Amino acid sequence: MNRVFITGNEAVAYGALAAGCNFYAGYPITPSSEIMHLMARELPRRGGVFVQVEDEIAAINALIGASWAGSRAMTATSGPGFSLMQEGLGYAVMTETPLVVVDVMRAGPATGQATKPAQGDLMQARWGRHGDQVLPVLAPSSPQECYDLVIRAFTIAEELRTPVVVLSDEFIGHGREVVELAGEVRIPSRRRPRSAREPPFYSEDPRVPPPMPRLGDGFNVLVTGSTHDGFGYRDTRSFDTHYKLVKRIWDKIWLNRDTIFDYEAVGIDDAIIGFVAYGSTARSVAKSVEILRREGIRAGYIKLKTLWPIDTKPIEVLAERVEAIIVPELSLGQLVFDIERAAKNYTKIYSFNKVGGGEPIYPRELVELARKVLSR
Amino acid sequence: MKKRHFSQKYLRIETLPTLFCPGCFNGVVINALSKALEEEGVASLRGYVFVSGIGCSSWIPSPYILADSLHVLHGRAVAVAMGVKLANPKLEVIVIGGDGDLASIGISHLIHAARRNLDIVVIMVNNLVYGMTRGQQSPTTPRGLETTTTPYGSFEYPIDMCRVLRETNANYVARWTIAHFFQLKDSIREALFRLRRGFRYIEVVAPCTTYVARRLGLKPSSILRDLLKNSKRVEEIRRGDTIGEDSIVVGIFKSEDKPGYIELYQDYSMRARGVQSG
Amino acid sequence: MARHDEKSILLGGIGGQGIVYATTLLAKALFAEGYYVAQLQSYGAEVRGGAVIGWIVYSTQPIVSPFTDVFDTVLVLHQKALEEIEKKKFTYTRLIVENDLVSSTIEADYRYPIHRVAKKLGLEGNENIIALGILAGHGIVSREELRKLLESNKKNIRALEEGVKLVARD
Repeated sequence: MNRVFITGNEAVAYGALAAGCNFYAGYPITPSSEIMHLMARELPRRGGVFVQVEDEIAAINALIGASWAGSRAMTATSGPGFSLMQEGLGYAVMTETPLVVVDVMRAGPATGQATKPAQGDLMQARWGRHGDQVLPVLAPSSPQECYDLVIRAFTIAEELRTPVVVLSDEFIGHGREVVELAGEVRIPSRRRPRSAREPPFYSEDPRVPPPMPRLGDGFNVLVTGSTHDGFGYRDTRSFDTHYKLVKRIWDKIWLNRDTIFDYEAVGIDDAIIGFVAYGSTARSVAKSVEILRREGIRAGYIKLKTLWPIDTKPIEVLAERVEAIIVPELSLGQLVFDIERAAKNYTKIYSFNKVGGGEPIYPRELVELARKVLSR
Repeated sequence: MKKRHFSQKYLRIETLPTLFCPGCFNGVVINALSKALEEEGVASLRGYVFVSGIGCSSWIPSPYILADSLHVLHGRAVAVAMGVKLANPKLEVIVIGGDGDLASIGISHLIHAARRNLDIVVIMVNNLVYGMTRGQQSPTTPRGLETTTTPYGSFEYPIDMCRVLRETNANYVARWTIAHFFQLKDSIREALFRLRRGFRYIEVVAPCTTYVARRLGLKPSSILRDLLKNSKRVEEIRRGDTIGEDSIVVGIFKSEDKPGYIELYQDYSMRARGVQSG
Repeated sequence: MARHDEKSILLGGIGGQGIVYATTLLAKALFAEGYYVAQLQSYGAEVRGGAVIGWIVYSTQPIVSPFTDVFDTVLVLHQKALEEIEKKKFTYTRLIVENDLVSSTIEADYRYPIHRVAKKLGLEGNENIIALGILAGHGIVSREELRKLLESNKKNIRALEEGVKLVARD
């Protein structure tokens, strides 16, 4: 173990390198650029590929090509660039291409408050593409989790043959904290077909992705973003082919929800008031729960480390116990929809929203809100 | 036993006949490419990767060519090709696409790949319109042509990609029409087997038989005659010459042998290895 | 509201005074001392000219939250930063200010003529490092760890020592 004092962005890059990332294509955008700077320094001298491309569209598409050629590929961006990458992400879902996209969120829409932190890209990360699709979304709340979750993102990408999004934010990206770097990380390699008879786009068990041939290995692989059969042949007419394909890709993620979904629950066993949060906001939540407990108020929280697919069971459990759940977000409220869906029949739900100006949600604000809610 | 056509070893026979319109010149492009490969003694396309975007000519490699192929998003073939080539420089990467795909939505990738002298071959089949979406104006539509989006005749100035790319760092830039079959085939051989490195661009003027020829009331045979008649060799054009809007400048605009992006990147990596981390 | 062993420091100034750099150095020195440290700063276009703040939470145990509006020590090099802190309704225990660039009506625990000293000794541009010396003089951070981080620059080392001296003279 190597104990270092680094920013979340640096931790993302170190996590990616530890996970064997050997291809990075990116376009400068604050507050994510430090990830690119570090990859630009490290990849060329480690035998990997770093390329600064003409735009974010080129970045995501270069990742797709590199992944099919056998690379572990990543890019990092922020809101505007993330918007430009959506079509490419949809293609990666449809063709089951493993890759990792890190979005260091800033206040939008549009140019918004360029570089000020926000948590407004949650729904876009989940639903930003057209059509029926689902991809895993992970959310670190500290530089340590940036490191750990980027490694996890590569693991999921390789194991499930899927693009994975990591949602960081400016506070985490530019905040510096102590990180324990792992000595060595072993990421499972994607499964390759043994013969050309194994379909690269079909598997009996939807939970298991089909094997992925590598370009140049002689499989004459047909990769297409159009609806295709098990061997990649386009079928843009039949109901069966389309439904089976998109349903299998959908199920691949949803039926593996148990392994993808990750969260931390603190103090929920005896809590009378609960919080659900993710990312940097979860840090203020943890602090406010500590303060409330010291004051004798039994508070607890759930910190989501996976934002999609989400398992609402732990939230239901929390909801059954507490008098109210507070959902603080650095946005006008997106995660709160999940919490309402899961818990509105059991308890009262309060959204706490704040975004802009580089203002975090302070622990004090949450403590005050919790007191107010409980006194009602 | 019936002798197989030489091109069959490069094609996915089970996908034939193609879905192209009757008389479509895409077949000429497949033929020229096959002939070039045949003449170079290529037995199988293992190690070749074809990347194409969206449009009629993007269907040439996918599904018809028996090789690895990526049929990608509209306009993004060159960007994907870049990822493939950088990730595994041993692969021979060929992009085939139309004027809508490469000169309109994908033009920035095309120009930047040329700027980098990226080691790929791009064959742009210029059919002068958006064929697949039913004949709208494209950036290469000649002025005066009636299309579905210029029903009174196109009035916009078109783009000449060969002149644009000549000014970049591309190693090879050529244009032929489908009436120049042998020159086209030789250009493909030159790009793939002689030059072998850097950005190599070959444009094929292949007017859409459905949305250009039929609208003009022309038969494919008369199109071929017109193409030959209107072609002007690039080496015969002198500075200051005015070129009529009906003329198609053909020939080899540029042929150089500078190191491509891959070699430059490898040199750069070697330099990086000499530097200790900060 | 901080845990008994959790401490927080805020550095404030205006763009160009090197506040972010000083905050980073301070954080790295505290890390080198063996603390868990979380460091954040205002970052963006306003870094050129407007108020800039950087803050640090440190502890012998992992940091629960890098966000706080309660500080043990606030050190500001410019009035604008103090106004920003008031606007944010931050509270603090100890206030250290630059004597000439912060209004004399402000009730500070300590006032140091950082800019005058810098000017007199040819240390202009190193006011942020003098400020770190002041924090070291107050025993908030190890002077030795700061020296190690500043080693490569003689002028910075001098600035650090001048800061320490300012406190000793008190």
